Amino acid sequence: MTNFLDICEKAIYGPIMSEKDFDMKVFMPKIKELVRKYGIQYDRENPVPCDDKAADNLFHAAVEFLAAVGIYCQDTNRLIQFTKEEILEGIAKAPGQCHLGEGKDAKVFGMRKPDDQKIPWLHVGSGIVSTTEEMITNKIEAYASIPEVDSISIPALDSIRGIPVAAGSPVELYAAIRSVKIGRDALIRAGRPGLPICNLVATAASAVTTIAASAPQFGLRPTDGWLCGTVAENKMEYGTMNKIAYLLNWGANVGAETAPILGGYCGGPAGTAIVSTAYIMIGILALKGSYQLHFPVHFKYGCSTTRDVLWVVSASCQAASRNVPMPVIWLGYMAGGPNTRMYFYESAAWLLAATASGAPSVQTPHSAKAVKIDGFTPMECQFGVDMAKAAAKCDRQQANHLVKKLLEKYESQIDKAPSGDRYQDCYDVTKGKPSEAYVRLVKEVKEELSGMGISFA
Amino acid sequence: MDKNQILEKLAAVVMDGTEDEAKALAQAVVANKIDPLEAIEQGLSKGMEIIGGRFECGEAYLPELLMAAASFNAAMAVLKPEIEAQKKQLVKLGKVLIGTVKGDVHSIGKDIVASVLDTSGFDVVDMGVDNPSLNIIQQAEKIQADVIALSSLMTTTMPAQKEVIDTLKEMGIRQKYFVIIGGGPANQEWADRIGADGYGKSAIDAVTLVKGLMAKKR
Repeated sequence: MTNFLDICEKAIYGPIMSEKDFDMKVFMPKIKELVRKYGIQYDRENPVPCDDKAADNLFHAAVEFLAAVGIYCQDTNRLIQFTKEEILEGIAKAPGQCHLGEGKDAKVFGMRKPDDQKIPWLHVGSGIVSTTEEMITNKIEAYASIPEVDSISIPALDSIRGIPVAAGSPVELYAAIRSVKIGRDALIRAGRPGLPICNLVATAASAVTTIAASAPQFGLRPTDGWLCGTVAENKMEYGTMNKIAYLLNWGANVGAETAPILGGYCGGPAGTAIVSTAYIMIGILALKGSYQLHFPVHFKYGCSTTRDVLWVVSASCQAASRNVPMPVIWLGYMAGGPNTRMYFYESAAWLLAATASGAPSVQTPHSAKAVKIDGFTPMECQFGVDMAKAAAKCDRQQANHLVKKLLEKYESQIDKAPSGDRYQDCYDVTKGKPSEAYVRLVKEVKEELSGMGISFA
Repeated sequence: MDKNQILEKLAAVVMDGTEDEAKALAQAVVANKIDPLEAIEQGLSKGMEIIGGRFECGEAYLPELLMAAASFNAAMAVLKPEIEAQKKQLVKLGKVLIGTVKGDVHSIGKDIVASVLDTSGFDVVDMGVDNPSLNIIQQAEKIQADVIALSSLMTTTMPAQKEVIDTLKEMGIRQKYFVIIGGGPANQEWADRIGADGYGKSAIDAVTLVKGLMAKKR
């Protein structure tokens, strides 16, 4: 099986081409060709399809796609290519599990299959939704205090001592180290010091900051997880590769981070489903991930809860969970924000689609498209955990039925979704407790969902 | 084919994204002595407008838009020398410098805006991703841009949009440029707060915005 130095070598000696040619002459035409060749069709009437043969067909299309297209290295302008044999060997030898955490919170993150009743690995929190130093501890403590939680994402700090955090600046380095220390302290406060942090280092946009803030004296351990991402679509740069090289030398967990964009270079749902499935293999082969964070989103709406993206999530999750042994944390972006009914309808739909389709793990669906500062609260985490447990009781057919009913409630509102409250608007900032109104809203929504047949018991 | 048929076909091949056919039809424009500016306006631009509209309402995706732009440019490569030979002038609506700010490597949204502005008649210079503020300003000075368009996809890189505007002010050249912003976390409120001249939610929005700003300039 190819190791990471082999990947570096491929990045140096692979075929040279411009990025534009890669997009226009390699990536886009191949997607179009394979959608036709494999007869992959988006079924808007069934956002959660239930067809194992179709899932396996999608997997085979994705293997052919990856073998034909490869990954583009933006720093060398060369293609990192894999033969079909290398891809299949990589899949065959992938462990399908990842060891995360320390002490009593040390666990093995493994696989699930479609219609699996096993509760997925429960990953909570958000890294991309930045926050202030004043609020970060309360939030992390609250996320970690949910007993069922298996791993956590900690927020990015948006400023330190009032100075905005700019990517690649020394302030970013201060903030990244500070956020790591705060994160670990908050986990201790919650009584779970060994809980793995799996979105390292959220405050660091640059590789050098990530590596510097990861030095063990600041509190991180190899049993945490670091996100090392591709660039949409099928591209990688040296910053990511440098992080991977560092983490592999340390023996730390690499979290492959991938996000296909429906409506972007992938085209429509069928093409996006191929790319989405191929990305799970890229996580194993090129990024050398111990686990993966994967989040298909819609180009125009910036969320994952449109009918077509739900179908992509479900179809590619089924293809991957049946054929690719990679523990993937599936993440969705919701259009609605905290303290809105819309968020919870979307969250329920997305969690049903992913969980019933065999997602090994689901992360708290991100609110307000993850672009609202402080627009994420522990309440969404608690709901996500409860909903994921409920969704694990549903098979694909039941999930499909429920998702369609939920789409009726929110689909027409996606373009003008309410961005909701900030943490400080719906929580007591000092005590870290939600407002009565927010508690009431969630209770009402859960009663409504129970009435639809979703069992929270 | 008569003139109207050629113009209609030009629009159609742009929409289909077939570069070779676009080139062949542009050659037919020249051979049939059709005004190349009319061919652009009544053929190529019409096709781009339709595909842009489809993209905006979700009926077409980025590949269709980019293939259409490639066909548009393939035809333009044939028509431009003819325009020069006839001593006519292709009027550009303005010069736009576009780039993703420092620390941010996201490019798709920015690429789309650049492509749509280009095929809408603007002279577009794309600086790519991860651009330090001063580099953006120096490039704007060098090419004498009318508009600086700044993209950011992360809340952590949004401050760099403000930094460009603040630096322009410090250098005493803020008034020389319209500065517009875009990207996932950006919105009109952020644009107002940092003193940008506008915010574009989508590529089509950006075209409308820049056209409006350029009208003010004139």
